[in-house]
Amino acid sequence: MTQLERLLRALHDVGVEFIVVGGVAARAHGSSRLTDVLDVSYARHPANLERIVAALKPSRPYLRGAPPGLPFEWSVPTLRAGLNFTLTTRVGAIDLLGEIVGGGTYEDLLPHTMELTVFGRAVKFLDLPWLIRVKRAAGRPKDLETIAELELLRDGFE
Amino acid sequence: MQGITAISASIVAQRLASGMSQRELADRVGTAQPAVARLEQGSANPTLETLERYAEALGCEWRIELVPRAASDATVERYKVGVDRSLLRENLKRTPDERLRSLADWERSDRELRNAMRKARAK
Repeated sequence: MTQLERLLRALHDVGVEFIVVGGVAARAHGSSRLTDVLDVSYARHPANLERIVAALKPSRPYLRGAPPGLPFEWSVPTLRAGLNFTLTTRVGAIDLLGEIVGGGTYEDLLPHTMELTVFGRAVKFLDLPWLIRVKRAAGRPKDLETIAELELLRDGFE
Repeated sequence: MQGITAISASIVAQRLASGMSQRELADRVGTAQPAVARLEQGSANPTLETLERYAEALGCEWRIELVPRAASDATVERYKVGVDRSLLRENLKRTPDERLRSLADWERSDRELRNAMRKARAK
């Protein structure tokens, strides 16, 4: 099983409320770009924070890029105290996004999602127009090629 | 909303998510499979009534909103020139599940390449 599949299964199988955004969502919509990170928007109510902690605990999440040895406790209070987390785990990198520039919170994004069955699970993905919207809002140079592809996929091409 | 292209993409995505074939969808809509194929390819000009039947058959509802057109971005337009459309075409032939499985395959290959490079450097 690949890292992406493990991460998606881990979140899905304990009932985490999340939406796949970012490069993996772009890929699902037809982009040819590759990515190393699973970006998800997540609901921040207490029960969901507990599910996220339970889902990722076996994979030993740690702050990506943080110096080794920096104290980091993977717990509900830690999630509650922060908003966006860039994590490395034993099964791959994952970004947990409590809020997205240009898109807002999980609840804001929810009306702009579509459910796709991937790896045998029904998973919510950000729809194409909103994926373009948040990638444009992020304003990162590395996203320009992806935005170009997504707009071609949205508008059609010869 | 980008007209028929976005409508077609939405219908294809929901049909695949439901695990339905074009023929099954056609039966539910009360039309023939080639009509579904034409709509999904963006070469039809459906009425609102027809689109309602598709939504009903897929257990969905249409959400149409009018929003100001995003300003075109000269930089993105330049990038579009260089996009390899053949890769996009190949991806569009796959289901979203197949697209992610392909990404996962690449991820596995990438790990192998990194390991090979690490071993080579260690020598």
